[in-house]
Amino acid sequence: MPNLLETQHAFLRAIVTRDTVAVTEQIADGIFTPAERLDVYRNTFLSVLTNALRISFPAVHTLVGEEFFESAAQYFVEAEPPHCAYLNAYGAGFADFLAQFAPAAGLPYLADVARLEWAVNGALHAEDVPPLEAEALADIANVPPERVTFIPHPSVKLLLPDYPARKIWHAVIAEDDAALSAIDLSNGPEWLLIERGANGVEVTALAKSEWRFAYALCAGESLASAMNAVPDRNISLFLARHIAAGRFIGFRLSGYQEMTP
Amino acid sequence: MLNARQAPSPSAARYERRSIPVGAGIGLRFPHHKFVAETRPEVAWFEVHTENYMGGGTPLRYLENIRRDYPISLHGVGLSLGSAERLDRAHLKRVRDVAARIEPGLLSEHLSWSIAGGIYLADLLPLPMTEEALDVVCWHVDEVQDALGRKILAENPSSYLQFAHSTIPEWEFLRAVAERTGCGILCDVNNIYVSACNHGWDASAYLAALPKTAVEEIHLAGHAVKEINGRFLRIDDHGSRVSPEVWRLYEEALARFGCVPTLIEWDTNIPDFTVLQEEAFQAERALRWVEEHCHAQPA
Repeated sequence: MPNLLETQHAFLRAIVTRDTVAVTEQIADGIFTPAERLDVYRNTFLSVLTNALRISFPAVHTLVGEEFFESAAQYFVEAEPPHCAYLNAYGAGFADFLAQFAPAAGLPYLADVARLEWAVNGALHAEDVPPLEAEALADIANVPPERVTFIPHPSVKLLLPDYPARKIWHAVIAEDDAALSAIDLSNGPEWLLIERGANGVEVTALAKSEWRFAYALCAGESLASAMNAVPDRNISLFLARHIAAGRFIGFRLSGYQEMTP
Repeated sequence: MLNARQAPSPSAARYERRSIPVGAGIGLRFPHHKFVAETRPEVAWFEVHTENYMGGGTPLRYLENIRRDYPISLHGVGLSLGSAERLDRAHLKRVRDVAARIEPGLLSEHLSWSIAGGIYLADLLPLPMTEEALDVVCWHVDEVQDALGRKILAENPSSYLQFAHSTIPEWEFLRAVAERTGCGILCDVNNIYVSACNHGWDASAYLAALPKTAVEEIHLAGHAVKEINGRFLRIDDHGSRVSPEVWRLYEEALARFGCVPTLIEWDTNIPDFTVLQEEAFQAERALRWVEEHCHAQPA
């Protein structure tokens, strides 16, 4: 008699890889065949996960159509089923999957749009944390910038797509066919900042230097290091703008070795 | 040194304490968030899927808003109480965090499993009804009740297959889980009906086997009848009105258990809110009738 772990692993294989041999032996007889019964569970597995992807990637779904999306989703779901029951976090690998999915080769911008949608999805569900206030700047005004690092709000993501992903995504979401057909695909890259503000998720195309400054700070580099990344720029303005937009939730001051004579 | 204002401590009570009343509640789904938040309809209580309110942002904000005026029950699908493996502790923490934010009147999960080999199969899968599976479920229910610091309810599943090596009828299994762990039972009358049709069980005998005092909530929902090569399988799809047979079984359940908070569940092809209110109203009528005529009290 199989133990519970064996039964569950056999069921797992039947659902994800369609290898139903082991679990079929364990299913009691009745008026339906084991295959007919397993189909019910397999259909739910596919439809629930396809739906989760449809919700997280609505622009990709619109760009490729329902039939293509369902087919691509089925391949993805079998190759990369979820590892936890929190389905808002399911689909991290979908953009990379689309990038190597041969039937999607005719849409070279698709993976970039998927990456943007994944960042939007992450921003939508990120934890609620109060942002740093503007007064914080006064606290660090006299601190050497190499001692200061910032903690980004969990909803903040920075992307550098090769293709004009934001323009495409925006045109699809707004159902603006005219704008969509006017897009020049060679008009990349874009320097994007995705965040959840008071009014919902925002996707902003920043100037390159402002993006690089934000990228450095969000990666945990010191203020001094971020300043070095964008010499000859108005750092105070950049920092004030980022803080006013609520992109940081705190800062850390590190100790440093005092050189003593 | 860290300078960041913290979110309000989850341990401080944030709302008026609201237990789930003995009345008809409605399963609150995203399409109705705005309507409920803005118009405050007359509904005794709401239940939501716990997993939909993990993480931050708009859904949780709506739920917190609605919680100010309505009792809320949390109904989870992701803990996988029947997995032979360890519980997903990160998921357990997420459940605990939602419960801390919302302070629900009831919190429930399913007598099923969804995770094997670290993979979440996105469905409520059938358990072999064995002594080993009973031990596993009781182990996990104990763990969850300890971690959450409260009693949970276990819901009977709908199922489309049975295992040849099962030794315990499902109704005995559920009874044993409640007796051994002290958890409550969420009696899904539609699931009893669906499984009874699919497996040739006696639905009335199922009800009769459940310990009266353990049943703290009832679910009602619609199901689909699927024709497969001339035979009919009932599928618990929560996509339609409660069927007449299930209303009759519900009346039988009330006669046995007394009046119990009853939830109208509708998850697919979600209708106008008024349709859900009509279903809830029908459940209320049944509850009031039993209250007046049976004087049925839990033993």
